[in-house]
Amino acid sequence: MSISAQKTGLSGLIERGGMLALFLVLMTFLLAPAVFVFKGSVENISISLVANEGGLTLKNYGKILSDGYFVYVFNSLYICILATVLSCTISLFAAYGLSRFRFPGRGFVFGAIMGGQFFPWIILVNPIFIFFARAGLINSHLGLILCYTAFITPFTVYLLVGYLTTIPKSLDEAAIVDGANRLQVIWMVILPIMWPGLVAAATFGFLQSWSEYLLALALITEDGLKTIPLGLYQYFGDVQVDWGAVMAGSVVATVPTLLLFLPLQKKLVAGLTQGATK
Amino acid sequence: MKLTPTARDRISAFWMLLPTFLILIGFYLYPTLYNLELSFTDITLLRLRQGGDFVGLENYSEFLTSSSFLDIAINTIFWLTVVSVVLRLALGLVVALLLNSKFLQDIRMTTVARLIILVPWATPPVVAVIAWRWLFDPTHGAINSLLLSTGLISDPVAFLATLTTVWPAIITIIVWNTTPLVAVSLLAALQTIPEELNEAAAIDGATRWQQFRFVTLPYLMPTISVLGLMSVIWTFNNFVYVWLATGAGPGTFTNVLATEVYLKAFVDLRIGYSSAIGVVMAVVMAAFGALYFRFFGLSEMQDKVG
Repeated sequence: MSISAQKTGLSGLIERGGMLALFLVLMTFLLAPAVFVFKGSVENISISLVANEGGLTLKNYGKILSDGYFVYVFNSLYICILATVLSCTISLFAAYGLSRFRFPGRGFVFGAIMGGQFFPWIILVNPIFIFFARAGLINSHLGLILCYTAFITPFTVYLLVGYLTTIPKSLDEAAIVDGANRLQVIWMVILPIMWPGLVAAATFGFLQSWSEYLLALALITEDGLKTIPLGLYQYFGDVQVDWGAVMAGSVVATVPTLLLFLPLQKKLVAGLTQGATK
Repeated sequence: MKLTPTARDRISAFWMLLPTFLILIGFYLYPTLYNLELSFTDITLLRLRQGGDFVGLENYSEFLTSSSFLDIAINTIFWLTVVSVVLRLALGLVVALLLNSKFLQDIRMTTVARLIILVPWATPPVVAVIAWRWLFDPTHGAINSLLLSTGLISDPVAFLATLTTVWPAIITIIVWNTTPLVAVSLLAALQTIPEELNEAAAIDGATRWQQFRFVTLPYLMPTISVLGLMSVIWTFNNFVYVWLATGAGPGTFTNVLATEVYLKAFVDLRIGYSSAIGVVMAVVMAAFGALYFRFFGLSEMQDKVG
Protein backbone atom coordinates (compact mmCIF):
# COMPACT_ATOMS: atom_id res chain seq x y z
CA MET A 1 0.00 0.00 0.00
CA SER A 2 3.00 2.23 -0.49
CA ILE A 3 1.50 3.95 -3.51
CA SER A 4 -0.70 6.12 -1.31
CA ALA A 5 2.00 8.61 -0.44
CA GLN A 6 2.80 9.22 -4.07
CA LYS A 7 -0.66 10.57 -4.82
CA THR A 8 -0.75 14.33 -4.90
CA GLY A 9 -3.37 17.03 -5.04
CA LEU A 10 -6.76 17.17 -3.42
CA SER A 11 -7.60 13.46 -3.52
CA GLY A 12 -4.28 12.64 -1.90
CA LEU A 13 -4.90 15.22 0.80
CA ILE A 14 -8.37 13.85 1.56
CA GLU A 15 -7.01 10.34 1.64
CA ARG A 16 -4.23 11.23 4.07
CA GLY A 17 -6.66 13.18 6.21
CA GLY A 18 -8.96 10.15 6.32
CA MET A 19 -6.12 7.82 7.23
CA LEU A 20 -4.94 10.15 9.97
CA ALA A 21 -8.46 10.47 11.39
CA LEU A 22 -8.96 6.69 11.35
CA PHE A 23 -5.57 6.23 12.96
CA LEU A 24 -6.36 8.71 15.72
CA VAL A 25 -9.76 7.13 16.41
CA LEU A 26 -8.25 3.63 16.66
CA MET A 27 -5.37 4.76 18.85
CA THR A 28 -7.80 6.59 21.15
CA PHE A 29 -9.88 3.42 21.43
CA LEU A 30 -6.80 1.38 22.32
CA LEU A 31 -5.24 3.84 24.77
CA ALA A 32 -8.16 5.69 26.41
CA PRO A 33 -9.31 2.92 28.80
CA ALA A 34 -5.83 2.64 30.30
CA VAL A 35 -5.57 6.43 30.61
CA PHE A 36 -8.90 6.58 32.43
CA VAL A 37 -7.85 3.81 34.80
CA PHE A 38 -4.66 5.65 35.65
CA LYS A 39 -6.53 8.94 35.98
CA GLY A 40 -9.12 7.30 38.23
CA SER A 41 -6.38 5.90 40.45
CA VAL A 42 -5.07 9.39 41.33
CA GLU A 43 -8.44 11.14 41.66
CA ASN A 44 -10.86 11.63 44.50
CA ILE A 45 -13.85 9.52 43.51
CA SER A 46 -16.72 9.59 45.93
CA ILE A 47 -18.31 6.23 46.69
CA SER A 48 -21.71 7.82 47.12
CA LEU A 49 -23.62 9.49 44.30
CA VAL A 50 -22.37 12.95 45.29
CA ALA A 51 -20.22 14.67 42.65
CA ASN A 52 -16.51 13.95 42.56
CA GLU A 53 -14.47 16.04 44.93
CA GLY A 54 -11.81 16.49 42.28
CA GLY A 55 -8.11 17.11 42.64
CA LEU A 56 -5.16 14.76 42.48
CA THR A 57 -4.45 12.44 45.37
CA LEU A 58 -2.53 9.36 46.34
CA LYS A 59 -5.14 8.34 48.89
CA ASN A 60 -6.41 5.47 46.69
CA TYR A 61 -2.96 3.91 46.78
CA GLY A 62 -2.83 4.59 50.50
CA LYS A 63 -6.16 2.85 50.89
CA ILE A 64 -5.16 -0.36 49.08
CA LEU A 65 -1.96 -0.38 51.09
CA SER A 66 -3.86 -0.22 54.38
CA ASP A 67 -6.51 -2.67 53.07
CA GLY A 68 -3.91 -5.39 52.77
CA TYR A 69 -3.92 -5.43 48.96
CA PHE A 70 -0.17 -6.05 49.18
CA VAL A 71 -0.98 -9.49 50.58
CA TYR A 72 -2.58 -10.35 47.22
CA VAL A 73 0.40 -8.85 45.40
CA PHE A 74 2.79 -10.91 47.51
CA ASN A 75 0.71 -14.10 47.01
CA SER A 76 0.56 -13.55 43.24
CA LEU A 77 4.27 -12.81 43.02
CA TYR A 78 5.49 -15.87 44.82
CA ILE A 79 2.92 -18.29 43.38
CA CYS A 80 3.63 -17.15 39.82
CA ILE A 81 7.41 -17.07 40.26
CA LEU A 82 7.50 -20.57 41.76
CA ALA A 83 5.20 -21.96 39.07
CA THR A 84 7.32 -20.30 36.37
CA VAL A 85 10.61 -21.63 37.74
CA LEU A 86 9.15 -25.12 38.14
CA SER A 87 7.63 -25.09 34.68
CA CYS A 88 10.76 -23.75 32.97
CA THR A 89 12.93 -26.38 34.63
CA ILE A 90 10.86 -29.34 33.50
CA SER A 91 10.19 -27.71 30.12
CA LEU A 92 13.89 -27.24 29.47
CA PHE A 93 14.51 -30.97 29.89
CA ALA A 94 11.43 -31.90 27.88
CA ALA A 95 12.37 -29.54 25.06
CA TYR A 96 15.92 -30.84 25.04
CA GLY A 97 14.71 -34.44 24.93
CA LEU A 98 12.27 -33.66 22.12
CA SER A 99 14.74 -31.76 19.97
CA ARG A 100 17.81 -33.96 20.44
CA PHE A 101 16.61 -37.55 20.57
CA ARG A 102 14.62 -39.69 18.21
CA PHE A 103 12.42 -42.26 19.91
CA PRO A 104 9.14 -44.00 19.24
CA GLY A 105 6.12 -41.84 20.08
CA ARG A 106 8.04 -38.57 19.74
CA GLY A 107 5.54 -37.07 17.30
CA PHE A 108 2.70 -38.07 19.59
CA VAL A 109 4.28 -36.42 22.63
CA PHE A 110 4.86 -33.23 20.67
CA GLY A 111 1.28 -33.34 19.41
CA ALA A 112 -0.01 -33.73 22.97
CA ILE A 113 2.03 -30.70 24.04
CA MET A 114 0.64 -28.68 21.12
CA GLY A 115 -2.88 -29.73 22.10
CA GLY A 116 -2.26 -28.78 25.72
CA GLN A 117 -1.77 -25.14 24.70
CA PHE A 118 -5.35 -24.92 23.53
CA PHE A 119 -6.90 -27.02 26.24
CA PRO A 120 -10.07 -25.51 27.73
CA TRP A 121 -9.33 -25.30 31.46
CA ILE A 122 -12.97 -24.65 32.26
CA ILE A 123 -13.49 -28.39 31.65
CA LEU A 124 -10.79 -29.31 34.15
CA VAL A 125 -12.13 -27.19 37.00
CA ASN A 126 -14.67 -29.77 38.26
CA PRO A 127 -12.34 -32.81 38.32
CA ILE A 128 -9.41 -30.83 39.71
CA PHE A 129 -11.64 -29.31 42.39
CA ILE A 130 -12.69 -32.83 43.46
CA PHE A 131 -9.12 -34.19 43.45
CA PHE A 132 -7.93 -31.21 45.45
CA ALA A 133 -10.84 -31.40 47.88
CA ARG A 134 -9.98 -35.03 48.58
CA ALA A 135 -6.26 -34.26 48.87
CA GLY A 136 -6.80 -31.24 51.13
CA LEU A 137 -5.44 -28.84 48.50
CA ILE A 138 -8.37 -26.40 48.53
CA ASN A 139 -7.20 -23.06 49.91
CA SER A 140 -3.64 -24.17 49.42
CA HIS A 141 -0.99 -22.29 47.51
CA LEU A 142 0.75 -25.56 46.72
CA GLY A 143 -2.33 -26.65 44.77
CA LEU A 144 -2.44 -23.40 42.83
CA ILE A 145 1.30 -23.56 42.06
CA LEU A 146 0.90 -27.10 40.69
CA CYS A 147 -2.06 -26.02 38.56
CA TYR A 148 -0.23 -23.02 37.16
CA THR A 149 2.84 -25.12 36.42
CA ALA A 150 0.66 -27.53 34.47
CA PHE A 151 -1.18 -24.63 32.87
CA ILE A 152 1.90 -22.90 31.41
CA THR A 153 4.12 -25.91 30.65
CA PRO A 154 2.78 -26.80 27.15
CA PHE A 155 3.50 -23.38 25.71
CA THR A 156 6.86 -23.16 27.50
CA VAL A 157 7.97 -26.50 26.02
CA TYR A 158 6.75 -25.38 22.61
CA LEU A 159 8.72 -22.12 22.75
CA LEU A 160 11.86 -23.83 24.02
CA VAL A 161 11.74 -26.53 21.33
CA GLY A 162 11.65 -23.67 18.84
CA TYR A 163 14.83 -22.19 20.31
CA LEU A 164 16.62 -25.51 20.68
CA THR A 165 16.17 -26.49 17.05
CA THR A 166 18.15 -23.37 16.09
CA ILE A 167 21.15 -24.58 18.14
CA PRO A 168 23.24 -27.01 16.06
CA LYS A 169 23.49 -30.54 17.43
CA SER A 170 27.19 -30.58 16.57
CA LEU A 171 27.81 -28.43 19.68
CA ASP A 172 26.33 -31.17 21.86
CA GLU A 173 28.27 -33.85 20.07
CA ALA A 174 31.56 -32.01 20.43
CA ALA A 175 31.01 -31.70 24.18
CA ILE A 176 30.09 -35.39 24.44
CA VAL A 177 33.24 -36.40 22.59
CA ASP A 178 35.12 -34.33 25.19
CA GLY A 179 33.53 -36.53 27.88
CA ALA A 180 30.56 -34.47 29.05
CA ASN A 181 27.30 -36.17 29.93
CA ARG A 182 23.89 -34.86 28.82
CA LEU A 183 23.27 -32.86 32.00
CA GLN A 184 26.65 -31.18 31.64
CA VAL A 185 25.84 -30.46 27.99
CA ILE A 186 22.60 -28.74 28.99
CA TRP A 187 24.23 -26.82 31.81
CA MET A 188 27.48 -25.76 30.12
CA VAL A 189 26.69 -25.70 26.40
CA ILE A 190 22.94 -25.21 25.87
CA LEU A 191 22.00 -22.85 28.71
CA PRO A 192 24.60 -20.17 27.97
CA ILE A 193 23.33 -20.01 24.36
CA MET A 194 19.63 -20.26 24.95
CA TRP A 195 19.10 -18.15 28.06
CA PRO A 196 17.33 -15.38 26.08
CA GLY A 197 14.83 -18.00 24.94
CA LEU A 198 14.45 -19.27 28.48
CA VAL A 199 13.86 -15.73 29.73
CA ALA A 200 11.18 -15.20 27.06
CA ALA A 201 9.47 -18.48 27.98
CA ALA A 202 9.64 -17.62 31.68
CA THR A 203 8.20 -14.16 31.08
CA PHE A 204 5.34 -15.63 29.14
CA GLY A 205 4.64 -18.23 31.81
CA PHE A 206 4.71 -15.61 34.52
CA LEU A 207 2.27 -13.38 32.63
CA GLN A 208 -0.09 -16.29 32.01
CA SER A 209 -0.31 -17.22 35.67
CA TRP A 210 -0.32 -13.58 36.84
CA SER A 211 -3.70 -12.96 35.19
CA GLU A 212 -5.25 -16.39 35.81
CA TYR A 213 -8.67 -16.05 37.43
CA LEU A 214 -10.82 -19.17 37.03
CA LEU A 215 -8.72 -21.72 38.94
CA ALA A 216 -7.97 -19.23 41.69
CA LEU A 217 -11.69 -18.53 41.98
CA ALA A 218 -12.55 -22.21 42.29
CA LEU A 219 -9.67 -23.24 44.56
CA ILE A 220 -9.10 -20.27 46.88
CA THR A 221 -11.81 -18.89 49.14
CA GLU A 222 -9.79 -17.67 52.13
CA ASP A 223 -9.14 -13.95 51.89
CA GLY A 224 -5.51 -13.97 53.02
CA LEU A 225 -4.63 -16.58 50.39
CA LYS A 226 -6.12 -14.82 47.38
CA THR A 227 -4.17 -13.62 44.35
CA ILE A 228 -4.44 -10.22 42.63
CA PRO A 229 -7.20 -11.10 40.13
CA LEU A 230 -9.44 -12.28 42.99
CA GLY A 231 -8.37 -9.44 45.27
CA LEU A 232 -9.32 -6.79 42.73
CA TYR A 233 -12.90 -8.00 42.65
CA GLN A 234 -13.16 -7.75 46.42
CA TYR A 235 -13.81 -4.05 45.89
CA PHE A 236 -16.96 -4.70 43.89
CA GLY A 237 -19.58 -4.72 46.61
CA ASP A 238 -23.21 -5.72 46.15
CA VAL A 239 -24.40 -2.13 46.11
CA GLN A 240 -21.42 0.09 45.51
CA VAL A 241 -17.94 -0.08 44.11
CA ASP A 242 -14.89 1.54 45.67
CA TRP A 243 -13.70 2.77 42.26
CA GLY A 244 -10.67 4.65 43.56
CA ALA A 245 -9.25 1.53 45.23
CA VAL A 246 -10.13 -0.65 42.21
CA MET A 247 -8.29 1.72 39.87
CA ALA A 248 -5.22 1.88 42.09
CA GLY A 249 -5.25 -1.92 42.41
CA SER A 250 -5.58 -2.26 38.63
CA VAL A 251 -2.57 -0.04 38.04
CA VAL A 252 -0.52 -2.11 40.49
CA ALA A 253 -1.65 -5.30 38.71
CA THR A 254 -0.80 -4.01 35.22
CA VAL A 255 2.52 -2.18 35.64
CA PRO A 256 4.58 -5.40 35.96
CA THR A 257 2.90 -6.96 32.91
CA LEU A 258 3.56 -3.83 30.83
CA LEU A 259 7.22 -3.81 31.81
CA LEU A 260 7.61 -7.51 31.04
CA PHE A 261 5.70 -7.25 27.76
CA LEU A 262 7.90 -4.62 26.19
CA PRO A 263 10.85 -6.90 25.41
CA LEU A 264 8.68 -9.97 24.84
CA GLN A 265 6.16 -8.97 22.16
CA LYS A 266 8.18 -9.75 19.04
CA LYS A 267 9.19 -13.18 20.25
CA LEU A 268 5.58 -14.01 21.07
CA VAL A 269 4.34 -13.10 17.62
CA ALA A 270 7.08 -15.12 15.99
CA GLY A 271 6.26 -18.10 18.23
CA LEU A 272 2.55 -17.97 17.55
CA THR A 273 2.28 -17.60 13.80
CA GLN A 274 5.58 -18.99 12.60
CA GLY A 275 4.01 -22.11 11.19
CA ALA A 276 1.49 -20.22 9.09
CA THR A 277 3.91 -18.26 6.97
CA LYS A 278 6.15 -21.11 5.94
CA MET B 1 26.35 -54.12 30.89
CA LYS B 2 27.29 -51.84 28.02
CA LEU B 3 24.43 -49.95 26.39
CA THR B 4 24.41 -48.96 22.74
CA PRO B 5 24.39 -45.17 22.17
CA THR B 6 20.81 -45.37 20.84
CA ALA B 7 19.57 -47.17 23.92
CA ARG B 8 21.37 -44.71 26.17
CA ASP B 9 19.78 -41.79 24.27
CA ARG B 10 16.34 -43.31 24.66
CA ILE B 11 16.82 -43.68 28.40
CA SER B 12 17.97 -40.04 28.63
CA ALA B 13 14.97 -38.92 26.58
CA PHE B 14 12.65 -40.90 28.85
CA TRP B 15 13.90 -39.24 32.04
CA MET B 16 13.93 -35.80 30.49
CA LEU B 17 10.36 -36.06 29.27
CA LEU B 18 8.97 -37.84 32.32
CA PRO B 19 7.98 -34.74 34.39
CA THR B 20 6.20 -33.12 31.46
CA PHE B 21 4.54 -36.41 30.64
CA LEU B 22 3.31 -36.76 34.23
CA ILE B 23 1.86 -33.24 34.05
CA LEU B 24 0.08 -34.00 30.80
CA ILE B 25 -1.43 -37.14 32.30
CA GLY B 26 -2.14 -35.78 35.79
CA PHE B 27 -3.55 -32.39 34.84
CA TYR B 28 -4.92 -32.94 31.35
CA LEU B 29 -5.68 -36.54 30.40
CA TYR B 30 -6.84 -38.03 33.69
CA PRO B 31 -9.05 -35.07 34.74
CA THR B 32 -10.63 -35.09 31.27
CA LEU B 33 -11.50 -38.77 31.61
CA TYR B 34 -12.66 -38.26 35.19
CA ASN B 35 -14.83 -35.37 34.00
CA LEU B 36 -16.39 -37.74 31.50
CA GLU B 37 -17.11 -40.22 34.29
CA LEU B 38 -18.62 -37.48 36.49
CA SER B 39 -20.92 -36.44 33.66
CA PHE B 40 -22.73 -39.78 33.90
CA THR B 41 -23.47 -39.32 37.62
CA ASP B 42 -25.64 -37.07 39.77
CA ILE B 43 -22.74 -36.11 42.06
CA THR B 44 -23.18 -32.81 43.90
CA LEU B 45 -20.73 -30.56 45.70
CA LEU B 46 -22.37 -31.48 49.03
CA ARG B 47 -21.91 -35.21 48.49
CA LEU B 48 -18.33 -35.21 47.21
CA ARG B 49 -17.17 -37.92 49.62
CA GLN B 50 -19.96 -40.38 48.89
CA GLY B 51 -19.77 -39.75 45.15
CA GLY B 52 -22.82 -39.83 42.93
CA ASP B 53 -25.05 -42.47 41.42
CA PHE B 54 -24.82 -43.51 37.80
CA VAL B 55 -27.57 -41.80 35.81
CA GLY B 56 -26.50 -42.62 32.26
CA LEU B 57 -27.10 -39.89 29.74
CA GLU B 58 -29.65 -38.06 31.89
CA ASN B 59 -27.45 -34.97 32.40
CA TYR B 60 -26.87 -34.70 28.67
CA SER B 61 -30.53 -35.03 27.73
CA GLU B 62 -31.50 -32.57 30.45
CA PHE B 63 -29.02 -29.98 29.22
CA LEU B 64 -29.67 -30.43 25.50
CA THR B 65 -33.46 -30.19 25.98
CA SER B 66 -33.43 -27.48 28.65
CA SER B 67 -35.11 -24.19 27.80
CA SER B 68 -31.85 -22.28 28.26
CA PHE B 69 -29.79 -24.49 25.92
CA LEU B 70 -30.62 -22.59 22.74
CA ASP B 71 -29.92 -19.20 24.35
CA ILE B 72 -26.62 -20.39 25.75
CA ALA B 73 -25.60 -21.92 22.42
CA ILE B 74 -26.46 -18.73 20.49
CA ASN B 75 -24.70 -16.54 23.06
CA THR B 76 -21.56 -18.70 22.95
CA ILE B 77 -21.34 -19.34 19.23
CA PHE B 78 -22.70 -16.11 17.77
CA TRP B 79 -21.96 -13.34 20.25
CA LEU B 80 -18.97 -14.51 22.24
CA THR B 81 -17.15 -16.31 19.43
CA VAL B 82 -18.20 -15.30 15.91
CA VAL B 83 -18.83 -11.60 16.46
CA SER B 84 -15.80 -11.00 18.66
CA VAL B 85 -13.42 -13.01 16.45
CA VAL B 86 -14.59 -11.40 13.19
CA LEU B 87 -14.37 -7.92 14.69
CA ARG B 88 -10.92 -8.43 16.15
CA LEU B 89 -9.62 -9.82 12.85
CA ALA B 90 -11.11 -6.92 10.87
CA LEU B 91 -9.93 -4.27 13.29
CA GLY B 92 -6.52 -5.91 13.62
CA LEU B 93 -6.17 -5.92 9.82
CA VAL B 94 -7.08 -2.21 9.62
CA VAL B 95 -4.55 -1.33 12.32
CA ALA B 96 -1.85 -3.43 10.65
CA LEU B 97 -2.50 -1.87 7.21
CA LEU B 98 -2.39 1.62 8.71
CA LEU B 99 0.86 0.92 10.53
CA ASN B 100 2.37 -0.50 7.35
CA SER B 101 1.33 2.48 5.21
CA LYS B 102 4.03 4.79 3.94
CA PHE B 103 2.04 7.80 5.11
CA LEU B 104 2.15 6.87 8.80
CA GLN B 105 5.79 5.92 8.50
CA ASP B 106 6.47 9.34 6.95
CA ILE B 107 4.89 11.18 9.86
CA ARG B 108 6.87 8.92 12.25
CA MET B 109 3.83 7.50 14.00
CA THR B 110 4.66 3.79 13.84
CA THR B 111 6.82 3.61 16.96
CA VAL B 112 4.27 5.55 19.02
CA ALA B 113 1.50 3.33 17.66
CA ARG B 114 3.41 0.15 18.50
CA LEU B 115 3.77 1.34 22.09
CA ILE B 116 0.08 2.25 22.29
CA ILE B 117 -0.92 -1.18 20.95
CA LEU B 118 1.13 -2.78 23.68
CA VAL B 119 -1.06 -1.28 26.40
CA PRO B 120 -4.32 -3.23 25.82
CA TRP B 121 -2.28 -6.31 24.93
CA ALA B 122 -0.35 -6.30 28.20
CA THR B 123 -3.45 -5.55 30.26
CA PRO B 124 -4.60 -8.71 32.05
CA PRO B 125 -8.20 -9.64 31.08
CA VAL B 126 -9.36 -9.09 34.68
CA VAL B 127 -8.09 -5.51 34.53
CA ALA B 128 -9.46 -4.99 31.00
CA VAL B 129 -12.94 -5.80 32.27
CA ILE B 130 -12.49 -3.42 35.22
CA ALA B 131 -11.30 -0.61 32.94
CA TRP B 132 -14.38 -0.91 30.74
CA ARG B 133 -16.78 -1.32 33.66
CA TRP B 134 -15.37 1.99 34.84
CA LEU B 135 -15.90 3.60 31.41
CA PHE B 136 -19.40 2.11 31.10
CA ASP B 137 -20.43 3.04 34.64
CA PRO B 138 -23.72 4.99 34.68
CA THR B 139 -22.71 7.32 37.52
CA HIS B 140 -19.00 7.98 37.04
CA GLY B 141 -18.30 6.55 33.58
CA ALA B 142 -16.58 8.62 30.92
CA ILE B 143 -18.74 7.23 28.10
CA ASN B 144 -21.97 8.29 29.77
CA SER B 145 -20.68 11.76 30.57
CA LEU B 146 -19.50 12.16 26.97
CA LEU B 147 -22.86 11.04 25.54
CA LEU B 148 -24.78 13.18 28.03
CA SER B 149 -22.72 16.30 27.32
CA THR B 150 -23.16 15.93 23.56
CA GLY B 151 -26.89 15.43 24.07
CA LEU B 152 -26.96 12.02 22.36
CA ILE B 153 -28.70 10.55 25.40
CA SER B 154 -30.74 12.31 28.06
CA ASP B 155 -30.35 9.74 30.85
CA PRO B 156 -27.29 7.67 31.78
CA VAL B 157 -27.27 4.17 30.28
CA ALA B 158 -26.15 1.17 32.35
CA PHE B 159 -24.50 -0.44 29.32
CA LEU B 160 -23.73 -3.74 31.04
CA ALA B 161 -27.21 -4.10 32.53
CA THR B 162 -29.34 -3.15 29.52
CA LEU B 163 -30.46 -5.92 27.17
CA THR B 164 -29.80 -4.00 23.95
CA THR B 165 -26.30 -2.85 24.91
CA VAL B 166 -24.89 -5.63 27.05
CA TRP B 167 -23.52 -7.85 24.26
CA PRO B 168 -22.00 -4.99 22.25
CA ALA B 169 -20.42 -3.81 25.52
CA ILE B 170 -18.91 -7.22 26.31
CA ILE B 171 -17.68 -7.55 22.71
CA THR B 172 -16.03 -4.13 23.02
CA ILE B 173 -14.07 -5.33 26.05
CA ILE B 174 -12.94 -8.53 24.30
CA VAL B 175 -12.03 -6.75 21.07
CA TRP B 176 -10.07 -4.09 22.96
CA ASN B 177 -8.08 -6.72 24.83
CA THR B 178 -7.44 -9.11 21.92
CA THR B 179 -7.01 -6.94 18.81
CA PRO B 180 -3.34 -6.01 19.48
CA LEU B 181 -2.15 -9.61 19.09
CA VAL B 182 -3.93 -9.83 15.72
CA ALA B 183 -2.66 -6.43 14.60
CA VAL B 184 0.96 -7.09 15.49
CA SER B 185 0.91 -10.58 13.94
CA LEU B 186 -0.62 -9.27 10.70
CA LEU B 187 1.84 -6.38 10.62
CA ALA B 188 4.70 -8.87 10.88
CA ALA B 189 3.20 -10.80 7.95
CA LEU B 190 2.63 -7.62 5.92
CA GLN B 191 6.26 -6.68 6.26
CA THR B 192 7.30 -9.92 4.58
CA ILE B 193 5.39 -9.11 1.35
CA PRO B 194 7.99 -8.39 -1.33
CA GLU B 195 7.69 -4.81 -2.59
CA GLU B 196 8.01 -6.04 -6.20
CA LEU B 197 4.66 -7.84 -5.99
CA ASN B 198 2.74 -4.61 -5.44
CA GLU B 199 4.90 -2.71 -7.92
CA ALA B 200 4.31 -5.33 -10.60
CA ALA B 201 0.57 -5.20 -9.94
CA ALA B 202 0.61 -1.41 -10.14
CA ILE B 203 2.47 -1.48 -13.46
CA ASP B 204 -0.11 -3.92 -14.78
CA GLY B 205 -2.74 -1.28 -13.99
CA ALA B 206 -4.22 -2.75 -10.82
CA THR B 207 -6.12 -0.28 -8.64
CA ARG B 208 -5.20 -0.07 -4.97
CA TRP B 209 -8.26 -2.11 -4.06
CA GLN B 210 -7.26 -4.76 -6.61
CA GLN B 211 -3.75 -4.81 -5.18
CA PHE B 212 -5.16 -5.35 -1.73
CA ARG B 213 -7.68 -7.94 -2.90
CA PHE B 214 -5.39 -9.97 -5.16
CA VAL B 215 -1.90 -9.45 -3.73
CA THR B 216 -2.00 -8.43 -0.06
CA LEU B 217 -4.98 -10.45 1.15
CA PRO B 218 -3.95 -13.79 -0.39
CA TYR B 219 -0.51 -13.26 1.09
CA LEU B 220 -1.98 -12.66 4.56
CA MET B 221 -4.54 -15.45 4.35
CA PRO B 222 -2.49 -18.19 6.09
CA THR B 223 -1.75 -15.86 9.03
CA ILE B 224 -5.38 -14.72 9.19
CA SER B 225 -6.58 -18.34 9.25
CA VAL B 226 -4.20 -19.37 12.00
CA LEU B 227 -5.10 -16.32 14.09
CA GLY B 228 -8.80 -16.88 13.45
CA LEU B 229 -8.72 -20.50 14.49
CA MET B 230 -6.63 -19.79 17.60
CA SER B 231 -8.96 -16.95 18.53
CA VAL B 232 -12.00 -19.18 18.13
CA ILE B 233 -10.47 -21.82 20.39
CA TRP B 234 -9.45 -19.27 23.04
CA THR B 235 -12.71 -17.34 22.99
CA PHE B 236 -15.23 -20.17 22.81
CA ASN B 237 -13.99 -21.46 26.20
CA ASN B 238 -13.52 -18.07 27.74
CA PHE B 239 -14.94 -17.61 31.19
CA VAL B 240 -13.53 -14.34 32.53
CA TYR B 241 -14.90 -11.74 30.14
CA VAL B 242 -18.57 -12.61 30.52
CA TRP B 243 -18.30 -13.65 34.15
CA LEU B 244 -16.55 -10.52 35.34
CA ALA B 245 -18.40 -8.08 33.07
CA THR B 246 -21.95 -9.21 33.81
CA GLY B 247 -21.89 -12.42 35.88
CA ALA B 248 -23.88 -13.94 32.96
CA GLY B 249 -26.58 -11.31 33.56
CA PRO B 250 -28.75 -9.35 33.50
CA GLY B 251 -30.59 -12.45 34.73
CA THR B 252 -29.04 -15.12 32.55
CA PHE B 253 -29.18 -13.00 29.40
CA THR B 254 -25.46 -13.28 28.58
CA ASN B 255 -24.94 -16.82 29.90
CA VAL B 256 -22.41 -18.79 27.83
CA LEU B 257 -21.19 -22.41 28.06
CA ALA B 258 -18.21 -21.57 30.26
CA THR B 259 -20.24 -19.54 32.76
CA GLU B 260 -22.95 -22.22 32.74
CA VAL B 261 -20.34 -24.86 33.68
CA TYR B 262 -19.25 -22.71 36.60
CA LEU B 263 -22.76 -21.71 37.70
CA LYS B 264 -24.05 -25.29 37.65
CA ALA B 265 -21.05 -26.62 39.60
CA PHE B 266 -20.38 -23.87 42.12
CA VAL B 267 -23.73 -22.11 42.52
CA ASP B 268 -26.24 -24.95 41.95
CA LEU B 269 -23.63 -27.42 43.27
CA ARG B 270 -24.53 -29.97 40.55
CA ILE B 271 -21.07 -31.18 39.57
CA GLY B 272 -22.33 -34.08 37.45
CA TYR B 273 -24.60 -31.92 35.34
CA SER B 274 -21.91 -29.25 35.00
CA SER B 275 -19.41 -31.89 33.87
CA ALA B 276 -21.78 -33.02 31.12
CA ILE B 277 -21.80 -29.43 29.76
CA GLY B 278 -18.00 -29.51 29.93
CA VAL B 279 -17.96 -32.69 27.83
CA VAL B 280 -20.20 -31.01 25.23
CA MET B 281 -17.71 -28.12 25.11
CA ALA B 282 -14.78 -30.51 24.84
CA VAL B 283 -16.36 -32.26 21.85
CA VAL B 284 -16.85 -28.95 20.02
CA MET B 285 -13.29 -27.93 20.88
CA ALA B 286 -11.89 -31.26 19.72
CA ALA B 287 -13.41 -30.55 16.30
CA PHE B 288 -11.69 -27.16 16.14
CA GLY B 289 -8.48 -28.67 17.48
CA ALA B 290 -8.59 -31.28 14.72
CA LEU B 291 -9.04 -28.48 12.16
CA TYR B 292 -6.02 -26.68 13.61
CA PHE B 293 -3.85 -29.75 13.39
CA ARG B 294 -5.15 -30.58 9.95
CA PHE B 295 -4.19 -27.17 8.54
CA PHE B 296 -1.31 -25.88 10.62
CA GLY B 297 -0.23 -28.23 13.35
CA LEU B 298 1.35 -30.91 11.22
CA SER B 299 3.43 -28.67 8.99
CA GLU B 300 4.59 -26.80 12.05
CA MET B 301 5.50 -29.99 13.85
CA GLN B 302 7.57 -31.02 10.86
CA ASP B 303 9.34 -27.67 10.98
CA LYS B 304 10.05 -28.07 14.65
CA VAL B 305 10.93 -31.68 15.18
CA GLY B 306 11.21 -33.15 11.69
